[in-house]
Amino acid sequence: MPRAHVDPDRLRRELESLLGARRVSMRDGDLDTYARDMWPRLLLARRDGQLPEHRPHAVVWPETQRELVALVKLARSLAIPVIPYGGGSGVCGGVVPLRGGITIDLKRMQAIRSVSRDEMVVDVEAGLSGERFERELRRRGYTFGNFPSSIYCSTVGGWLATRAAGQLSTKYGKVEDRVAGLTVITGRGELIETDGPSRAVRGPNWTQLLVGSEGTLGIIAAARLRLSTAPQLEIFRGFEFDDVAAGTEAIRRVLQRGLRPAVVRLYDELDTFINSLGKKAATGDHAGAPITTGYGAPHDLSAAPVPMPGEGALPVLPRPEPPADDGVVSRLLAIARGRRRGLHKEAVGLALDHAKLVNRIAGTVARRGCRMVIGLEGARIRTEVEAALTFAELAHAGGRDTGEEAGWAWLAHRYAVSYRMSPTFRDGAFVDTMEVASTWERLMDLYHSVRDAISQHAVVMAHFSHAYAEGCSIYFTFAAHADDLAGSRRLYDTIWRDGLEAVTRVGGTISHHHGVGLLKGPYMAGEHREGMAVLHGLKQSLDPDNLMNPGKLGMAAAPTGVPRKEAS
Amino acid sequence: MNRDAFARELGVLVGDGNVQGVPVTAGEPPAWQVAPGSAAEVAEVVRRCNRDGVAVLPVGSGARPTRWKAVAERPRVHVAMRRMDHVVHLDETSLLVHVQAGLTGAGLEKVLVPRGLSLGDYPATMLGSTIGGMIAVRTPGKSSARHGFLEDAVLGVSAVLADGRSIHTRVAPRRATGPDLARALCGSEGTIGVITSVVLRIHLKAEARLLAAYVLPSFDAALAAAYLALREECQPAGLRVYDSAEARAHLGDELALAGPALDDDAALLLVATAGPTDLAVCDRDLVTSAVEAEGGAATDPRLADAWWKLRGGDPRQVPPPSLQVTATPSKLRAVYRAVRDAARDAGATARAHVSRFDAGGAVVFVTLVADGKPLDGARLDAVRATCEQAAGDAGGWLLGARPAQMDPYLAALRAELDPNGILNPGALS
Ligand SMILES: Cc1cc2nc3c(=O)[nH]c(=O)nc-3n(C[C@H](O)[C@H](O)[C@H](O)COP(=O)(O)OP(=O)(O)OC[C@H]3O[C@@H](n4cnc5c(N)ncnc54)[C@H](O)[C@@H]3O)c2cc1C
Ligand SMILES: Cc1cc2nc3c(=O)[nH]c(=O)nc-3n(C[C@H](O)[C@H](O)[C@H](O)COP(=O)(O)OP(=O)(O)OC[C@H]3O[C@@H](n4cnc5c(N)ncnc54)[C@H](O)[C@@H]3O)c2cc1C
Repeated sequence: MPRAHVDPDRLRRELESLLGARRVSMRDGDLDTYARDMWPRLLLARRDGQLPEHRPHAVVWPETQRELVALVKLARSLAIPVIPYGGGSGVCGGVVPLRGGITIDLKRMQAIRSVSRDEMVVDVEAGLSGERFERELRRRGYTFGNFPSSIYCSTVGGWLATRAAGQLSTKYGKVEDRVAGLTVITGRGELIETDGPSRAVRGPNWTQLLVGSEGTLGIIAAARLRLSTAPQLEIFRGFEFDDVAAGTEAIRRVLQRGLRPAVVRLYDELDTFINSLGKKAATGDHAGAPITTGYGAPHDLSAAPVPMPGEGALPVLPRPEPPADDGVVSRLLAIARGRRRGLHKEAVGLALDHAKLVNRIAGTVARRGCRMVIGLEGARIRTEVEAALTFAELAHAGGRDTGEEAGWAWLAHRYAVSYRMSPTFRDGAFVDTMEVASTWERLMDLYHSVRDAISQHAVVMAHFSHAYAEGCSIYFTFAAHADDLAGSRRLYDTIWRDGLEAVTRVGGTISHHHGVGLLKGPYMAGEHREGMAVLHGLKQSLDPDNLMNPGKLGMAAAPTGVPRKEAS
Repeated sequence: MNRDAFARELGVLVGDGNVQGVPVTAGEPPAWQVAPGSAAEVAEVVRRCNRDGVAVLPVGSGARPTRWKAVAERPRVHVAMRRMDHVVHLDETSLLVHVQAGLTGAGLEKVLVPRGLSLGDYPATMLGSTIGGMIAVRTPGKSSARHGFLEDAVLGVSAVLADGRSIHTRVAPRRATGPDLARALCGSEGTIGVITSVVLRIHLKAEARLLAAYVLPSFDAALAAAYLALREECQPAGLRVYDSAEARAHLGDELALAGPALDDDAALLLVATAGPTDLAVCDRDLVTSAVEAEGGAATDPRLADAWWKLRGGDPRQVPPPSLQVTATPSKLRAVYRAVRDAARDAGATARAHVSRFDAGGAVVFVTLVADGKPLDGARLDAVRATCEQAAGDAGGWLLGARPAQMDPYLAALRAELDPNGILNPGALS
């Protein structure tokens, strides 16, 4: 894709006249940093020492909505793209500036403008860090209820732009379920406020047409979001089911009775198995600790490990050491029994070079059942009643109660899993996650089809989380290994292609909460088919010059503003 | 355009018996009503109309025919959805139903209820409309405290665009694949496409339903109690606050059950809770505690039975409200007071109830009366106008409000999808 052309000196002059020199950068270091997000495919290249393929022309840090409007207007007059940038924690290449342009980092716009007790809403600016947002709300007795694993490195605006989901979404909903209105600077350079404070307004719901637009229609500057009262009570529990079918059936029953646990996660056999390797050491810390009742237990965000500055959030895999095939199973089992620290790594390394084998034994040797973590929180009385009904329903559906500790252990370590892993991949190994969803009717189909598709190439495990009365999402984690960058990329792309084609075949959605970015762009036509016409219509309406984050959501990167020939 | 030839073509597309001329006044362009029997026929009709720039006006139950004056200069085809009233698929595993757009809410309930299912606790008055019509028009009131706004129950929409293309939004519980494209159709009042079918969430019939009635010392106290309970996460299946005059008008003789004559300042709070028995009891008790905290007390539950019957469409005559104002929780009291004062200054009386509570607020239904009789005619128009003004000034939203700011964007979206401007040209502009 040809890079937009602009005279760098003029660009600098114009930007500095808007923002001052301090909040404009055209330094190589910054341009490299803002060339990417946490998309593993980009990290592969970086590991190989490659420079980013696409860099912005400039990075800016505006502080006011007026500055945002001026920036979009400037970009229009120069005909160069605008790329909104939140925390850069996206995992799909959403911020990659395919034609260069001005990357707008929103993190200096981070005020909580007001919290209304009567309305139970908060007006917040888009650049606020997720963790600070939630901490500030807790201090005032509220929660927004969105706890993505990336809460430390993502922003409120990024959440809204990607339709993020937090770990407690089963109670609080995804971000799109919690948004009452948005303040957006459209690609036309106008500031709009979507929806009235209530549903009285006629016409389409513009809020829902802008949530999830990943910067392609406009910049989300601020949002009015719905609040809940901070929970007075938290109750966590572990359960175990014979297999995923029994476990998901139990979740369905709970949700369809109208019960809303905050979180319910069901790990498939391999996920349960591999988790048990690492977790045994972790749960040791809890042994002998008194069982907490959970009354008033706060979400202790500070207890979670904070990533070091400059440290990525994605996992590293240890060097694989290929043993004899027949030795793998027994060594994995030995590790499982041994419960020794450090062996987790070894297990994963082993597994990688024997992807198909490991996937196969997962169904047989590792048939130790599926682990479920379930938690309820909220107002004291109602939560107690709901918990009793929920646990009874799970037991009725064949679940074995494994006690409170199993639930609390998950809560304590719930952010750790994302950061325990180290910043770089090594030796052609990579890990990624594919989060898909379907209605209950198709869920087992989705699970088996995608698992089969990926397991041709990688070790794959899955858990079910984010449940709804009508369906559920599945979160696949896969790890694979190739000898060089070209091979890794080929393998990486193949896994995604086969996985997402399987999803579309059985009628699931290709993304439940990570978004589309560059990664899933090629699969958007399969997802929406003729419906893409509506997306293109929205694009034409809100961003007629195709300057807002061009080339994302499966739309063209090329400029639309091809100069028209005068009719003669 | 050759009228007769065009009519014949329509007949070929949908069957001769399903095309009718619509009477027009002299000098007006011709109009027809067609009743397609399938989404494919809708697509054919729309494609045919698009070729000649004939306007297409979708018709649901026809309760609110689109004003089409703006396009009186061109021929038009009313696309009646009445033949498209089938349940396409009932997915009892996922609790979803795929219905054609012409089925009414009541028609759908007839299919669901015998199976122990239901669309949900939506107001019965809305159920006479077609599913397509309900989804196509966003008005307040299509909401429930438990299930939210009706359009939140929409998981997927199939529609025919102006050029005859059909779109089907993929059905998934949630997704992160760009904007929710189904929302371009919801509320578009027929301007983006003709909705041919909808996938909706449905619910298991509640295991228990409890009704309760409370008397509170004032309207403000009743609203405060309602919000106190909602904040404790109570999820009522129905919730209504009456001022004393409105309670008398709606509940009449039954009101005697509440004991000696209801104080003029007093208010009535009625609630239905539903779900697993323990939860329904819990929710009712939460309301009881909230009411007691606001100085009120429970009264004879038969009062609530009367309300529930009324709500379910008891033929007892209750005049339609003179105005409806939507307000966020903090504005409800101010709106109520402003309307009452404005009516009084205009020599009338405003009585009101508040219902349709959801996360965004609730709706104040006002009936204007004088000398014990509901106002009508010019007098009603005059008093209503001042009351609407007062309600708006107090922060309420009148029915049919539209954010003018979005007009150019909607116009551009329409221009992109419907360059000939055939779809409901008079609507939303
Ligand atoms: C370790 C890890 C764990 C994760 N866990 C979760 C999880 O549990 N749940 C989940 O949903 N996601 C998760 N993610 C993905 C990611 O954190 C989310 O997609 C998040 O919402 C991105 O927010 P951000 O502020 O980092 O956005 P960015 O990565 O900066 O941007 C994402 C996209 O949104 C656009 N954008 C950003 N801000 C704005 C704005 N203000 N206006 C318009 N467009 C904007 C960008 O242009 C880009 O297209 C995880 C990521 C990592 C690395
Ligand atoms: C101006 C206005 C005022 C209203 N006032 C009230 C009110 O006071 N109280 C209340 O409860 N409700 C009100 N409504 C809502 C409305 O009457 C009903 O709630 C319901 O939407 C009508 O359903 P119907 O089947 O009767 O559709 P119709 O009345 O036949 O059609 C309503 C609108 O939707 C379009 N439409 C119908 N079916 C489709 C379809 N399949 N695809 C695309 N478009 C379609 C029509 O072209 C028309 O514009 C109002 C609606 C409008 C437009």
